[in-house]
Amino acid sequence: MREILAKLNKTAGVRGSMVVNRDGIVVASDLAVEADEKSIGAVASSILAALESALKRINMGKFSRFIITGSEGKVAVVETGQALLIVLLSRDVNMGMVNVEIKEAASAVAERARM
Amino acid sequence: MGLFDYIARWRTNSRIRSLESQIQQRPAPVLYLQLADAHREAGNAQKAAQVLKLGVVRFPSAPEIIRRQAEAEKSERQNEKKRLIEKIQTHPNPILYARLAELYKADGQVSETVGTCQRGIKAFPKYGGTYLVLGQIYVEKKQWQEAGGQLEKSVELDKYNYLALKLLAQVYMELQRTADAIKQLEAILYFAPGDEAILELLKKAREAAGQPAEQKAAAEALKGSTAAPRTEIHARTTVGRGGEQREAALRKTNIQRIAETAHRDKALSDGLANIRAVASVTGALLVDQYGLVVAASLSESLDEALAGALITNIYRAASGNAAKITAGQFEEGLVEGDSGNIHIVQIEEMILAIFAGPGVRMGLLEKSIRDFAGTLLQRR
Repeated sequence: MREILAKLNKTAGVRGSMVVNRDGIVVASDLAVEADEKSIGAVASSILAALESALKRINMGKFSRFIITGSEGKVAVVETGQALLIVLLSRDVNMGMVNVEIKEAASAVAERARM
Repeated sequence: MGLFDYIARWRTNSRIRSLESQIQQRPAPVLYLQLADAHREAGNAQKAAQVLKLGVVRFPSAPEIIRRQAEAEKSERQNEKKRLIEKIQTHPNPILYARLAELYKADGQVSETVGTCQRGIKAFPKYGGTYLVLGQIYVEKKQWQEAGGQLEKSVELDKYNYLALKLLAQVYMELQRTADAIKQLEAILYFAPGDEAILELLKKAREAAGQPAEQKAAAEALKGSTAAPRTEIHARTTVGRGGEQREAALRKTNIQRIAETAHRDKALSDGLANIRAVASVTGALLVDQYGLVVAASLSESLDEALAGALITNIYRAASGNAAKITAGQFEEGLVEGDSGNIHIVQIEEMILAIFAGPGVRMGLLEKSIRDFAGTLLQRR
């Protein structure tokens, strides 16, 4: 997992990434910024419940990704099957450029989690 | 602008950039204070207040930031009250009354709060937010009966209002009406499954009512499962003043819907219709800070109050935690499902949600959002 995250973190605009299970427990992390990993995992897990409920009731299918943009940066929470990939991004990141890398990393995480 | 002013501004902006970069790398309370000062020096008091707010989230026990943030908030409230009073006189709308009352409440001005709510209710009796603020005031004064009356009215008008339902449940607990409290809490779990605060309250209510077996269902929902069918079906059929009424409410006719929303701002509704006209957009919704739908342009199959509650629930979870996950203050969110997306944008104290298919063209959508934000800010 660490290798997948390290590769993703080389992408311009990525400030760090981590994998948490659906209960928010940190499986692996590689953050370039000072942040509370446990807190991020717990928050992602609690947001997931709200997202899944909304998508289901509004008939938009299964949750695949949530991107939050804030005053200090962006955060992507990506469904990978049994786990969530969380990517911390710069506020001005080019999402078009980074999307491909995130998708690749998410597939790799899903693959690794199945092993 | 003179040369001296130009140099001074350049220095301040350089300092802001440097401080922002230092905060990204190694945040510290003193950096937030310095950054707030730099923004104030640059004439941006709003940004300064925002920085202090983020500083408090990051360092909740740093006394200087807490003190400075409280001062900034108080000053912001004074300016906002003045603006709202003027706006009510020229272009009254129900949200202005509720917002003004809330500001009075924050400053401990009880009689002004009650008076503003009463005037707001008289002018706009169909808006639930004002009843909610009045209910909150009665809760603070521990006048449970009065609080219950106002909150019941708020819930009657907005059946999926998280804040009103939660507070009403707490009031019912105070009044020893545990069965009624349980109904309200179960109603919240319908649109906010896994909400830990609600599950905790539900556990206490069930214990008080002598229903320990029900805790199992609560534990299921705590896992974040959206498939807690028992809780969900139970909630769907027991919310408010009875299951039949709720089901009937969900089958509203168009005529009823039009009648209920007649007091809404036409310009905002038209603005949302313009957003909906963008290819692949299936609906748009504007929700206020109380979680109440202000304007909507949705397909008939979607209950707008429920959609508003679901959006507010996502917004509450994301905005309340954005700083903890290093995003700072929440600005917007994009939820992607495998058959559609939800765009959530904060515009001042309102939340704009747009429902779209996967093929929506972002450039067109962003333009329509900007146009709508312009309309909204003009009418604020």
